[in-house]
Amino acid sequence: MTIASDTDRRRPRIWGAARWLLGKLVGGIFVLWAVATAIFFGIRMIPGDPAEAIMGGPGSQASAEALAQARADYGLDEPLVIQYLTSLWRLATGDLGTSYSLKSPVSEVLGELVPATLVLAVLALLVAWALALGLAVASTRSGKLGMALGSGLEIVSAAVPHFWLASVLIMFFATALGWLPPVSTNSPAGLVLPVATLALPLAGFLGQVMRDTFDEAHRSSFALSARARGESETGVLLRHSLRHAALPGIALSGWAFGSLLSGAVVVESIFARPGLGRSLLSAVTARDIPLVTGVALLSAGAYVLIMALSDLAERLADPRMVAP
Amino acid sequence: MKNVRPLARRLFPALTVLTAALVLAGCSSPADSAPESGTDAGTPVIGGTMVYASGDAEPTCLDPHVGGNYPQALVASQFLETLYTKDAEGKLIPWLAEDSTVSEDGLTHTLTLRDGISFTDGTALDAAAVKANFEHLLDPKTSSSTGYLALGKIDSMKATETNTLELKLKTPDNSLLESFSMPWVAIESPTALKRSQEENCAAPVGTGPFKVESWKKQEAVNLIRNEDYVRPVADPNHEGTAYLDAITWRFIPEAATRYAALQAGEVQIIDNAQPDTIAAAAKNQAIEHLDAPRPGASNRIELNSSKAPFNDSKVREAFIHAVNVDAGIDSLFFGTAPRSHSPLSSVEPLGFSAPSLFDYDPTKAAELLDAAGWDERDGQGYRVKDGTRLSLTFPVSTSQSVPAEQSLFEQLQATAKESGIEIKINLLDLSSWYGKLAKNDYNLVSAPYTKVGPSVLSVLFHSDSTIPAPSGYFANLSQVKDPALDALLDTAGSTLDTAERQEKYAQAQKLVLEGHYLLPLYDQQNHFLYSSELLNVGATTAVASPVFFDTWLAK
Repeated sequence: MTIASDTDRRRPRIWGAARWLLGKLVGGIFVLWAVATAIFFGIRMIPGDPAEAIMGGPGSQASAEALAQARADYGLDEPLVIQYLTSLWRLATGDLGTSYSLKSPVSEVLGELVPATLVLAVLALLVAWALALGLAVASTRSGKLGMALGSGLEIVSAAVPHFWLASVLIMFFATALGWLPPVSTNSPAGLVLPVATLALPLAGFLGQVMRDTFDEAHRSSFALSARARGESETGVLLRHSLRHAALPGIALSGWAFGSLLSGAVVVESIFARPGLGRSLLSAVTARDIPLVTGVALLSAGAYVLIMALSDLAERLADPRMVAP
Repeated sequence: MKNVRPLARRLFPALTVLTAALVLAGCSSPADSAPESGTDAGTPVIGGTMVYASGDAEPTCLDPHVGGNYPQALVASQFLETLYTKDAEGKLIPWLAEDSTVSEDGLTHTLTLRDGISFTDGTALDAAAVKANFEHLLDPKTSSSTGYLALGKIDSMKATETNTLELKLKTPDNSLLESFSMPWVAIESPTALKRSQEENCAAPVGTGPFKVESWKKQEAVNLIRNEDYVRPVADPNHEGTAYLDAITWRFIPEAATRYAALQAGEVQIIDNAQPDTIAAAAKNQAIEHLDAPRPGASNRIELNSSKAPFNDSKVREAFIHAVNVDAGIDSLFFGTAPRSHSPLSSVEPLGFSAPSLFDYDPTKAAELLDAAGWDERDGQGYRVKDGTRLSLTFPVSTSQSVPAEQSLFEQLQATAKESGIEIKINLLDLSSWYGKLAKNDYNLVSAPYTKVGPSVLSVLFHSDSTIPAPSGYFANLSQVKDPALDALLDTAGSTLDTAERQEKYAQAQKLVLEGHYLLPLYDQQNHFLYSSELLNVGATTAVASPVFFDTWLAK
């Protein structure tokens, strides 16, 4: 009967995993619905007629016939509730609609822009992690002064707003030194400044939460016993202290990814880089409801996914937590 | 994080100083003596790609028939041409058109087109092509705004011969040829216009010195030389095609990035240059400046005469004397924007100026306000009448008023306060700003208006223009409704006698200036900065958008 008892023991674990997944899924759908609803009603609070947005933006002198045509084409002559339900139904079936300003399908527009923003965000996240860990390790190993210096650097970089940092980096590296292009092109050199702008503040945040845990772990009894076992300092660092320090960092990465997406709005505009953030900005100005909704849903979806992944990673990194 | 921020704040100034020091160090390296541009530019060099960086929002459609705004005109001026244009002296000359005649009653215009001109898709330019363009502009499905208004008086049209188009007007319109000089009424290939709007927006086909090769949204519009270009009016100094191989038209919304890209040599020309940047660039010998004020109206503050307190002309006059415009312009525009005292741009030959009406004179303002009954003061020093404070709402569009202009409005606010007038500046995005205007929720407003010729006066000051378009928009923002003014504008706009036209438009301008309906500030600013490696920059269309047919890159 060992087999039966084995399945008995396993069943709840599978159930637990399923429940965890279901919970994440329901939560995710709720978030997406909330985002779609907030945007649908929020963007209508801005004065002006969405039909104008279709006919070339606010203050258009489009004729009455042209406006009526646009309203009929985009279903804007229906009551608001009907419009809302129609748009929810379309979204649920995966139809993001047609952009008012670009006059092409939103899914197509997003498809073109996602890779650029993804490259930027992922690189920034990696660089931020590397910087945070590097600084945490370096400053812990160089005594009190190092700690103070590292902590100070982190505080400053965490507090720096993106637009300011971007301008300073452009002034330093593009105008004064001439090492890097101020405008982000597809070349690797063009990516350096935008990635640095996003990564530096994030590294500051991650570094701050990591340093304390790292320092604590590095001086803890298990690190001491590892050293006593004859493990090298590097071994202790990699196998024990870093693992501890990574935990709060992982927990923060979901949030960090969200902050990178919002940072992309500023960074893509300043460095004139194509991407989701820049098109979100122009879509909001043009009152392009389908495009704004599309970008927001995509960001929210990515955020939900990353949160779930970081939750999973955290469970895997920490044996005390029940793996799903 | 609360305990963190003060430290960061203390560190900011230190970092800023450090940055400034480094930047100054970078700028102080002496630049090679650059050749003078424009005059004696030397022997033209053929080849090379010029990168243009625009600060405007990227157009959603490259066909200026659709919608019709200035960013579209800027890029379209490279690949589309107009029936008429303005020469270097500002004189209206036929371009794609060869000639035009008007019947004695002013109701029939006959346009003759030039022979031997083709669109870049091979279609020949003829009367039927021009007709197809006008029909495209008047079709509601095109959703033309600017071009539609310009052709509003056309009743019917007929191609009487291959190269002759006859236009019948509803009422005489002596501004028609000026309208034909605007890029929003540019002539496109009728074959290309038959494509879907999406296709035509992506790559309109014209007769210009360049043509659209590709458009990668959010990156660049790529233009290449039109190898078959025939200049409608021969240029003895420049035969054949354009010198540049290609133009890369980029969009860099941030002013600082745009200038940094110019300094770094990544781009050769930028538009929307701001006063502080122009002043900084003046010290840099590797960068040149092109100042091309736009035609049409001057930039001005309109005083809403439709409601209190500006329904009283004394209060309007008092406001004009209470604000110190000259001091503000001097301190904020670094000499880049000469003061205007006219409703029209300084490039409009029929502009009428009345500098004596616009003195900064707080004493006079006080007398006028006392006489108008605003003779009490409240606790904050503002004037009061019947328990109401003399308070003016001023919605400002952050996309139409550049930072220097917003600062100017703040300075006017400060000087008006000394005379007991409160100005409430309300910074708004474009939609909300139009929303305020549509609801008549403003006392002061500044709105640019670009158009070729003095007929812009009818758009801005005729009582017909107080009637809102279906979108709620109306152009007569001072809401002046004066039958005498309407009569002047109607006559000025329809007469075939040029002397009478000039006389009536001058009287109309005098009337609105003396009625204190507006406070002119300066021309509509249109500044470009370019690398001194770029030679022979300066030719522009009738709406002051640069044309790069004559431009070359020194190697």
